[in-house]
Amino acid sequence: MTAASARRPSKVASKRVGERQEALAGYALIAVPMLLFLVLNIGSIVYAAFISLWKWNIRTGPVTFLGLNNYANALKDPIFQAAVTNTVYYTAIWVPLTMALGLFLAVIVNQKIRGRTFFRGAFYFPAIASSAAISTIWIFIMNPFGLFNQIRGILGLNPLFSLIGFGANQDWLGDYHTAMNGIIILNAWTTSGTFMIFYLASLQAIPHEVYEAAAIDGAGAWDTFRRITFPLLRPGHFFVATVGVIGGLQLFDQAVQIGNVDGAPANSLMTLVLYLYNAAFKRLQYGSAAAAGVVLFLIIFAATLIQRRLFEGREPATA
Amino acid sequence: MSGQVPTPSMTPTGTGAAAIVKAAPAGAVVVAPVGDTGRAWRIRIAYFFLIAYALLMFLPFGWTVITSFKTLEDSVRLTIVPQPFTTAAWEYALNNLQPNIVQMFFNSFAIAIAVTITNVVLGSFAGYAFARLRFPGRGILFLLVLATLMIPDQLRMIPIYAIFNGIGFNKGVLQMVSIVVVLAISASSVFLLRQYFLTIPKDLEEAARIDGAGHWTTFLRVMLPLASPAIAAVTILQFQGTWNGFFWPFVLIHDQNLWTLPLGLTEFRLVGGFGTNWPPLMATVVLATVPILVLYMFFQRYFVEGIAASGVKG
Repeated sequence: MTAASARRPSKVASKRVGERQEALAGYALIAVPMLLFLVLNIGSIVYAAFISLWKWNIRTGPVTFLGLNNYANALKDPIFQAAVTNTVYYTAIWVPLTMALGLFLAVIVNQKIRGRTFFRGAFYFPAIASSAAISTIWIFIMNPFGLFNQIRGILGLNPLFSLIGFGANQDWLGDYHTAMNGIIILNAWTTSGTFMIFYLASLQAIPHEVYEAAAIDGAGAWDTFRRITFPLLRPGHFFVATVGVIGGLQLFDQAVQIGNVDGAPANSLMTLVLYLYNAAFKRLQYGSAAAAGVVLFLIIFAATLIQRRLFEGREPATA
Repeated sequence: MSGQVPTPSMTPTGTGAAAIVKAAPAGAVVVAPVGDTGRAWRIRIAYFFLIAYALLMFLPFGWTVITSFKTLEDSVRLTIVPQPFTTAAWEYALNNLQPNIVQMFFNSFAIAIAVTITNVVLGSFAGYAFARLRFPGRGILFLLVLATLMIPDQLRMIPIYAIFNGIGFNKGVLQMVSIVVVLAISASSVFLLRQYFLTIPKDLEEAARIDGAGHWTTFLRVMLPLASPAIAAVTILQFQGTWNGFFWPFVLIHDQNLWTLPLGLTEFRLVGGFGTNWPPLMATVVLATVPILVLYMFFQRYFVEGIAASGVKG
């Protein structure tokens, strides 16, 4: 009797001790990563928002309070406007183009054909190289005497190009008319494989029965794709579009590597992030740089919220 | 050859037909193609696109390798065989760069390895805790981690630059340390590992618990080994991402002798004077890409799975 009654409360106590130990273990494990997230991510947004309200010195901190003037000045700056226009233009063209390529590749590679593992590997291949390496290769290929201009000459395409106003030795990345489009094509090339992988995950979530039903109804390949595959990929489309838009709005590497930090030629490669970089490290206006960063974050946040909305009430995301 | 062999099973016309022949029982003679010529044509068209696109993927890299063995005059010519074949560009890239290419390799490697280790260690800590241990605030803290995926690096740039400047991390090797701290843990690592820990059956953990193992021992001895596929994916993703990374080195490294390969490559072309000296530039591109290429050839599966699972590196 005494032994049993003594054991019962200790069991409850030991359960409580166990829970406490589990919680303590949990906190101990997340302590360092959480600290880093809080300081370097969450904390830095707050800090950036604070800096954006000041004329700021990197050594001494706040100089004069400007309120929203940094924002107002940025919005009035024609270079900021060019940066926004260029960034939006890039995103608006690059995202759909790369999505179309990725989807096309995914659908083909999803067939039961020989060597599909090889092709998947091949299409993802450009994505493994660094932006610096890829940009350097691209500059080499697109230079006035580069591979691209030579090949189109050999293929007899020059009359076609001169029809739309390009000479035999067009400097694709050095001419402000074509530089941004050059980056769009470059990044579509390197990212189509990544989008293919996202789409493949989404494609494989479509149940086989759907296709079997379509086959029984006598639907052809194109009809099956248009009426069944494409609509059922809706979660995949939104996922890829969101990842694409977030990435597109942050265009920086290729712009710097090709046009240097001043967005040459003629500001045609000036992007939002590059503007931010220049405001900080060229003009030492840390306040306006932070303001540009906040604007960029708000645009990304809005894009993500819109995407969330579109997800709601749909089948759960599969990718 | 195939025309001289009379047996019908030896003359398949397309790969699709070949597959059918293979699938048929050994004795049976199958007449290819079986009825559905539409399908055979579709496959042929698919192959045309597949091969054409695959060529587009490899062509620029192939051209890069070829150019690295050319002279400067030859590099603008459209010839596949270098004329004359020379390793001068490679010697130039290996000996004449400032800083030395070996130094840049070392810098890139040191940063990438350190970031990979911190991500695996801290990521599996947090991933395991968020997946398996119950503690107050778990849900909200995990949401907070995921929310950081939306924060553009560029927004963090000024505050982080100010913080590291303030604590004197803008001098010497500390510049490299600051990059490692910034990249020490990414939400995608936590997410990927947490998702994997969630799929491991609870029984294994409970068995260890009954044997008297504590949380730490269970995590280290039982759960961590089981999560090795996810750890491999995080390792590959982080190593590749950091090795190739441009933004943070560009912002946080001021000393030339601390340049990473992508930084060096960009600076050499922009300001380093060998702006259009293509062959050594291409040799440097090859050198900078080869380590990742080797990883890719051996661990392709983890690249693809990691990308598909985390879906954050665009």
